[in-house]
Amino acid sequence: MTQQASDYQGLGPQKVRGVVVRRPNRTAGVQAYIPELSKGLGITMKHFFKNTKEYMLGQRPDPVLESTTDGVNTISYPEQRRPYPERFRGMHRLTHRDDGSPRCVACLCCSTACPAQCIHIEPAEYPEGDERRGYERYPATFVIDELRCVFCGFCVEACPCDAIRMDTGIHAAPYDSREQFIYEKDLLMSFCGREGDQVTENARHEPGESTHPGVDRERHGH
Amino acid sequence: MTEYILDGLKAFAVVMFGMNVGVILTWVDRRQGAMMQDRVGPERAGVYLPKRMAQGALLGPAIGTAAIVFYLAWAGRDLEGAAYTGRAMLFSQLAILFTWLTFLVIAGRIRRRGVKNPFDAFIATLGDPRRFFYAGFGAHLACFFVAGLFRGTPLAPTLKQIGYGGGAGLLAGAIVLGGAYAAYRIRHERVRLRLAGLLHPAADGLKTLLKEDFIPPNSDRLLHSIAPFISFFPALVVLAVVPFGDTLCFGTENGELQLTQLLETVPREGVCTAGAVNLQVIDLNVGVLYFFAMAGTGIVGAALAGWASDNKYSLFGGVRAASQMVSYEVTLGLTIIGAVMIYGTLQVDDMVRWQAENAWGIFVQPFAFFLFFAAAVAESKRIPFDLPEGESELVAGYFTEYAGMKFAMFFFSEYIAVVSASALMTALFLGGWSVPFLDRDGFHVVLGDNVIWEVALSHGSVIVLGVLAFVLKVFFLCWLQITIRWTLPRFRYDQLMQLGWRKLLPASLINILATGLVILLVQGGSAQLVSGLRTAGQVTDLVTVVLIIAAVGSLFALFLKPASHRQGLAATSAQFASLRGGTRSARMTP
Repeated sequence: MTQQASDYQGLGPQKVRGVVVRRPNRTAGVQAYIPELSKGLGITMKHFFKNTKEYMLGQRPDPVLESTTDGVNTISYPEQRRPYPERFRGMHRLTHRDDGSPRCVACLCCSTACPAQCIHIEPAEYPEGDERRGYERYPATFVIDELRCVFCGFCVEACPCDAIRMDTGIHAAPYDSREQFIYEKDLLMSFCGREGDQVTENARHEPGESTHPGVDRERHGH
Repeated sequence: MTEYILDGLKAFAVVMFGMNVGVILTWVDRRQGAMMQDRVGPERAGVYLPKRMAQGALLGPAIGTAAIVFYLAWAGRDLEGAAYTGRAMLFSQLAILFTWLTFLVIAGRIRRRGVKNPFDAFIATLGDPRRFFYAGFGAHLACFFVAGLFRGTPLAPTLKQIGYGGGAGLLAGAIVLGGAYAAYRIRHERVRLRLAGLLHPAADGLKTLLKEDFIPPNSDRLLHSIAPFISFFPALVVLAVVPFGDTLCFGTENGELQLTQLLETVPREGVCTAGAVNLQVIDLNVGVLYFFAMAGTGIVGAALAGWASDNKYSLFGGVRAASQMVSYEVTLGLTIIGAVMIYGTLQVDDMVRWQAENAWGIFVQPFAFFLFFAAAVAESKRIPFDLPEGESELVAGYFTEYAGMKFAMFFFSEYIAVVSASALMTALFLGGWSVPFLDRDGFHVVLGDNVIWEVALSHGSVIVLGVLAFVLKVFFLCWLQITIRWTLPRFRYDQLMQLGWRKLLPASLINILATGLVILLVQGGSAQLVSGLRTAGQVTDLVTVVLIIAAVGSLFALFLKPASHRQGLAATSAQFASLRGGTRSARMTP
């Protein structure tokens, strides 16, 4: 007799009632061992032949799409990879402007927002004569310690310029030493998005363009 | 002098066979076990070849083989009679085989990797790759029927010439086409040669050689160091008494080599007296006893390793190994008594000859085969009898304190013991090198007194078929032992001892008694009984053939069956993957 779950519900001290589990009925066939042995052998052989055939003919089930079917559905990393979801937060990248310079204006929003304090930026002024001088600054150094990073994505949220993104799809790589986890500006700028893009589709208003608000730090005394 | 060279060659071949198969088995075991459990197993080891070298490795052998085919065809163009017919048949059947196989593989590749050029497009228009197999199978049958239909008619010589010349040309063409296509399809500058993971044992061997050789500080250094050798040696030397082929005749009376004898057909009865070469390292008249004597020495290695390690778990393992192996050795010895009574000899070669003439041991002593198999698995200390190792109780049993190559020697010796036990079982129960219906001069399918089918074969090809049959039987038994290893859970120690002493031992005694009674009955039986038994022996050959054909047929059926996988997009990752075109094609980094 099986015990219903509802029997235990209700007020008062709960009574634990044991259920008598009958000993498994050992038939002569089970006791003789040999028939059961051959049954087991049959099962392992079935799996072996089926999987070997699918391996040889390249018919292995897709490890993600067909994971519910029988067969070898392990992922052979790195030849096969589980596709990360669209919003997977991978390694950081610094997006580019059309001319290849970083979109970053060194506002320090990201390093301020970072709970792990793994972003270090040294801002610098554009040189005299540059159109952007006075409007915005650029990061002379932009360093992320990927070993400290907790991949929370706050830097991406904080960025007002869409300059830092985590959409590379590259997961944290294993390295030999701590130095290798320190990602400098050049490396961060060399990464692309999933589609191989380095320039984002968000419009960027450069000084001199008609859409640019035209506010100037030097002349307006900011 | 020639004798010594031949003996050396035979010993070398046998040692190489045992060691290589044993070492490869260490990988096969893991790989096969993984495939049984829906995993892939170790398959990643590989070496990188430059593109040109890979192309050369594909094209060179292909062109070489084609050249050999042309040479054989050219050399044999003046052959007469049955030899010419046989070669024409061989060429045409091989040509058909290689043609459909090549196109099948090419079509499968194109289906998986996509169409790249007009040739691919043409093959792709032919539809399902299975059609090549069906067409090839039909062509094989048609070839046989045409040969049978036109035998003796005026058209026969023309057909023979077509089969001979056309077959040789097609065979060479198919081989070159396959090699050239494979070489052409190499796209990358470096090719990773993986061989489905076959390079793993080599990598493992190299790794263990380079590892630190740790000896526990308080251990007995000498015994600890020689134990692996004591365990390794007997596993290897027992192969010496197992014959791996029929007696080879290519010598003359005065001990000179005369290789042309290999191309001729030798008489069916009897073995040549002069210049005969036994395909066996040493033909001892107490061959089976030698096997047990040497195999028994293996116990010493395990027990010594356990004792010398200065580790209580190792000691437990060593003691367990000693008691288990001694117990099962008794059964092992007693089970073959029945077989020895029937064969009437202890010489392994004579046992195989008896089986070749009458019936395989598995048919005359089925019960003994089963007992011997169980005891042999226990003797090699493998799952389900791996109590001496017992990693859940004894860390790693008697080789806990071993590292590097010394550990590997225990490991390899276990697998070499599997090979040598399989070789002995093949010789004792599976007819050794004998092939059903194959005599020294060719195939004779005979039932009772009716000759159903006969074909003459040259001496060399008969011997090669025998050696191949022996190797295949050994592989089959090794495969079976590995399948068992991945199927059964480990016994408890008392169950192990119970099974050995209270089940297998009495069973083997009963087997001896029953065998004795049957032998007495047959000896006192009438002539009719004897001829009936002879027919029964031929029927067992037929049963074997039918079983092999059924097994091969069902394998083909399995391979032709289309794979059906159900997609399940319940998980988020699966939904995302389906949008990205599946996991296989997903490349996350640009």
